[in-house]
Amino acid sequence: MALVELHDIRKTYHIGGQEIAALDGVTLSIEAGEFLAIIGPSGSGKSTLMHLLGCLDTPTSGSLIIDGIDVSRASSNELAAMRNAKIGFVFQSFNLLPKFDVLRNVELPMVYAGVPGRVRRERALAAIERVGLMHRVHNTPLQLSGGQCQRVAIARAIVNNPKIVFADEPTGNLDSHTGEAILTLFRELAESGRTVVIVTHDNTIAARLPRRIEMRDGRIRVGVEAQVSATAPLLPTAHPGKGANA
Amino acid sequence: MNFWFGLLIGLKEIAAHKFRSFLTMLGIILGVSSLMAMFALTEGTARGMRETLAASGGVERAEINNKDPSEEFQDLAFLSPGRTMNDVEALRKGAPLVELVSPEMNMGAAISRSNKTIRLLATGACPEYREVGQFEIAAGRMISQTDVDRVTRAVVIGADVAGELWPETPGYVPLGEVIRINGIPYRVVGTLAFSESDSAKRKQAAGVFAAQNERRARRMGKTKKKAVNHDTFWQKNHAILIPISTMFNDFRTASNADGIPNRNLDRLSFRVGDLALFEETINQVRAVLERTHRGIDDFGFDTREEWFDNIESSVRATRTSGSLIAGISLLVGGIGITNIMLASITERIREIGVRRAIGARQRDIFVQIVVESGVIGFIGGILGLLAAAGFMQLLILLSPAENAPVVTFSAVAISFSFALGIGVLSGLYPAWKASSLDPIEALRYG
Repeated sequence: MALVELHDIRKTYHIGGQEIAALDGVTLSIEAGEFLAIIGPSGSGKSTLMHLLGCLDTPTSGSLIIDGIDVSRASSNELAAMRNAKIGFVFQSFNLLPKFDVLRNVELPMVYAGVPGRVRRERALAAIERVGLMHRVHNTPLQLSGGQCQRVAIARAIVNNPKIVFADEPTGNLDSHTGEAILTLFRELAESGRTVVIVTHDNTIAARLPRRIEMRDGRIRVGVEAQVSATAPLLPTAHPGKGANA
Repeated sequence: MNFWFGLLIGLKEIAAHKFRSFLTMLGIILGVSSLMAMFALTEGTARGMRETLAASGGVERAEINNKDPSEEFQDLAFLSPGRTMNDVEALRKGAPLVELVSPEMNMGAAISRSNKTIRLLATGACPEYREVGQFEIAAGRMISQTDVDRVTRAVVIGADVAGELWPETPGYVPLGEVIRINGIPYRVVGTLAFSESDSAKRKQAAGVFAAQNERRARRMGKTKKKAVNHDTFWQKNHAILIPISTMFNDFRTASNADGIPNRNLDRLSFRVGDLALFEETINQVRAVLERTHRGIDDFGFDTREEWFDNIESSVRATRTSGSLIAGISLLVGGIGITNIMLASITERIREIGVRRAIGARQRDIFVQIVVESGVIGFIGGILGLLAAAGFMQLLILLSPAENAPVVTFSAVAISFSFALGIGVLSGLYPAWKASSLDPIEALRYG
C-alpha cells in the first residue's frame, strides 16, 4: 500500500452563494521515499491539494489515507496529531517564531508531541546539525539570513521524524544560489528515504525532480507526469547567455 | 503542550512588551491595591472601634440616661427625683440580673499640689466603677466601700496625673501624698494603670505619640471637658476618683444658690450579668427605676449593644461599597486584559497558524492564551499587593493618629485570587477566538 492514497477527492468552497470546486476529483498515490513536485498556476488547486495532504483540512468528499490512516473525516484534534507526528511543513516565508532562538524553534513540534526536555534538546541539535547550522543554535531568526532561516524551518520539519515533508514554494523568497542549496538539502532528505513533496509554480525546479504532478483547474493534468531519473544532475546547465564555464 | 511551556511563552510575551504589559496590568494593579487597602482600612477602623468599646466597658455595659419625659408626664416631671443614689440602692436590691451598678458624680475641678495646678474632671465613684469602666490598679488600691461609707478624702489618680503634678520626677508613684481638689486636701491611695489603644502603642513605638500628646494637652487647656470626653484612653489616664459620698459632702451640699444639695448623679452605669439575658435585664432595670422615679419615664438606656451593632453594620457597609468599587476597577482591568489579548492574538495570527501546522491542538492554543492572561493577572496581583502595602505605609505616615490599617491573610488571599481569576477569565474569550482560527487562514494571514 502506498504511503498516501487519494481517491476521487473533491473540495468545494461556498463563496457568496457560489460553489467553487477547488479540487474536482483527484486520485493520486504517493509511495514512501518519493521526491515529487506539485506544480500548477495559481488557482489550479495545488495549494488546496497540499492542505489536504498536509492534514490542515479535510476533503468535501473522497477518501484520503495517509500512512494507513483515513484522515478524510478526521477531527481537528486527530488532524493536529497527524500533522505533529507524520508531517513536516516548510513554508515560503519560513514562518519561524521570531522570539525564540533556533533551538527552541526546532524543539517546538516536540513540545506539542510531549517529548521530555532532554530528549527534545538532543533531537533538535541533531536536526540542526543535519541542516548545517550548529554554529547558529542560539541565534534568533532575525539574526539569520533567508537561507539559514529556511534551514531552521527544514530542521523543524524533520525533527519529529515525519513520513512526509511538504514544502510550499521553499525557494520563493531566496536568491537562486541559496535556493539551490535548499533544494540540494531536500534532495538529500529524499535520498535518505524520506518522502518530500515540493509545491511550486516554478517549472525549472519541478523539472529536476523525479516526479511531477501538474494541477490544472482542480484536476491532475493527465499525461504530463514525467519520470525523471533520481540521479539526474540537480544543478541546471548554465544559462545560455552567461557563458558555460561554471 | 505542558503548562510550564505555556507559562514560559506567557512570560516571554510579557517581557517582550514590557510597557504594554504594564499598562495592561495597571487596571488589575489598581483594582487589587484598592481592594486590599479597603479591606485593611475597614479592618483597622473596626478594630479601633472595638478596642474603644472594650476599653469603655464592653458590650455588657449600659448606661441610664436622662431623657425628657413623654407628653403625658410633662406636667408631673417635677415629681421625679431624677437619677440619685436611691436608684443605685434600688437596683442593687431589686434587679438581680444586674451584676454591678456604678453611679458617678462628676465635677470639673482644679487639682493642685504645691504650686502646680491642672484642671481635670473629678469623679465621685463607688468601688464598682473600676470593673464597669475596665480600670486596672497599678499601685495602692481602688476607692473602697469603706471609703464611701466613711466619707474619707481618698483619691485614686490616673496614670498620667502623677507625671503632670510631679513633672520633676518622672515615674514617681505618689502613694500617700496629698493633693488638693478645689482646695480640699485628699490623700492619694492608689494609681491606675496606663491604658492605651493598640494603635497608640504602635504610634508610641514610632515616636509620634509624645508630640501628639503635647499638642493635645495644650488644646485641653483651652477647650476642657468636651475635648476630654473625646478620647476614652486620655480620659482614663487623667482620672481623678474620689468616694462618691465625699464628692457629695465636699462639693454638692452647698452647690445650689438656694442651698438645696444636688443629689443627682451625672452618670449611672451598670453591667449586665448575662449577655444572653440582656433584654430581660434592661426590662428589670426599667421596672425598678419606674418605681423610684414615681412612674415618670425621664430616663432612657444607652446600650453598647447598639454601638456594637453600629460598628459591625458600618464595617459591613463600608466593606460592601468598597468591594463594589474595587470590583468594578478589577472588572475594568479585566476588560483591559481582554482587549490587549485580542490585539495580541491578531498580531500573532500567523504564529498561531504555524503552531497549528506543526501539531498544536486547539486546546494547546487555548491554554497558551489563558495562561498568558493568567500570568498578567498573577503579576498584576502581586504588584497590586505591593502597591497596596506602599499605599498603606503612606497613609500611616500621613495620619498616624488614625486607626492603622490591618492586613489580614484573608484580605490578601481574596484580593490576590480575584486578580488571578480576572486574569484567567479575561483570557477566555481571546483564547477561544485564537484556538478557533482556521490554520490555513491563519498561515495565509498578513
